[in-house]
Amino acid sequence: MSDSEKWAWWTLGVVVLTIAAYGAYVAFVKSGHAALVFGLLALAALPASRRRYFPCRHFDERERAIAGKAALAGFYAFWLAFAGLINAIGLIKGWNATLTVPVWTLIETLCWALILVVGVQSLTTLVLYRKGPHA
Amino acid sequence: MPSQEPEIKNHIRRLRFDHGEMTQDQLAKQAGVTRHTIMALEAGKYFPSLLLAFRIARVFGAPVEQVFEYVEPLPR
Repeated sequence: MSDSEKWAWWTLGVVVLTIAAYGAYVAFVKSGHAALVFGLLALAALPASRRRYFPCRHFDERERAIAGKAALAGFYAFWLAFAGLINAIGLIKGWNATLTVPVWTLIETLCWALILVVGVQSLTTLVLYRKGPHA
Repeated sequence: MPSQEPEIKNHIRRLRFDHGEMTQDQLAKQAGVTRHTIMALEAGKYFPSLLLAFRIARVFGAPVEQVFEYVEPLPR
């Protein structure tokens, strides 16, 4: 297994753990802000600094191509979700409505966006390493 | 059965064995890529760039068309 695949599995694990922790927090604790569990996402940085982006490590052309496609897939997913959210808010609340949201809601939204991007990026990485003549 | 899509076949595996049973790791090091990329090339899961194709051919001391072969797609 290549370093990029190890990174993808690790990141996917962190994403699943964070979602599970969020679900458990909302289900059992109920009080307070569940945004605290998003701190678990910091675990995703561990292998990134030690393995994937280790200074002596060089990507070859296939690894670079896969990393680029995976990053693009993450960006597309983010863009789709962003456009969907904006349109949904506009259609439900009206395009001239004013929204007032607590700061923690904004933080949670940004964390979900991060989860979406790294989740799609790591899934795409795993798929491209296994399939496709052009991967 | 020939594919309807154009393909690039390669003879890397045979050439490795013709060159003293060179390992994938040895070839990867000489071509400047990872062993995983050599594995993907041999499995037909990756088409290399021209640069990598020439580097691999140079490792074997062969012209690039002896290592890689363009397979015409079937007419539709």
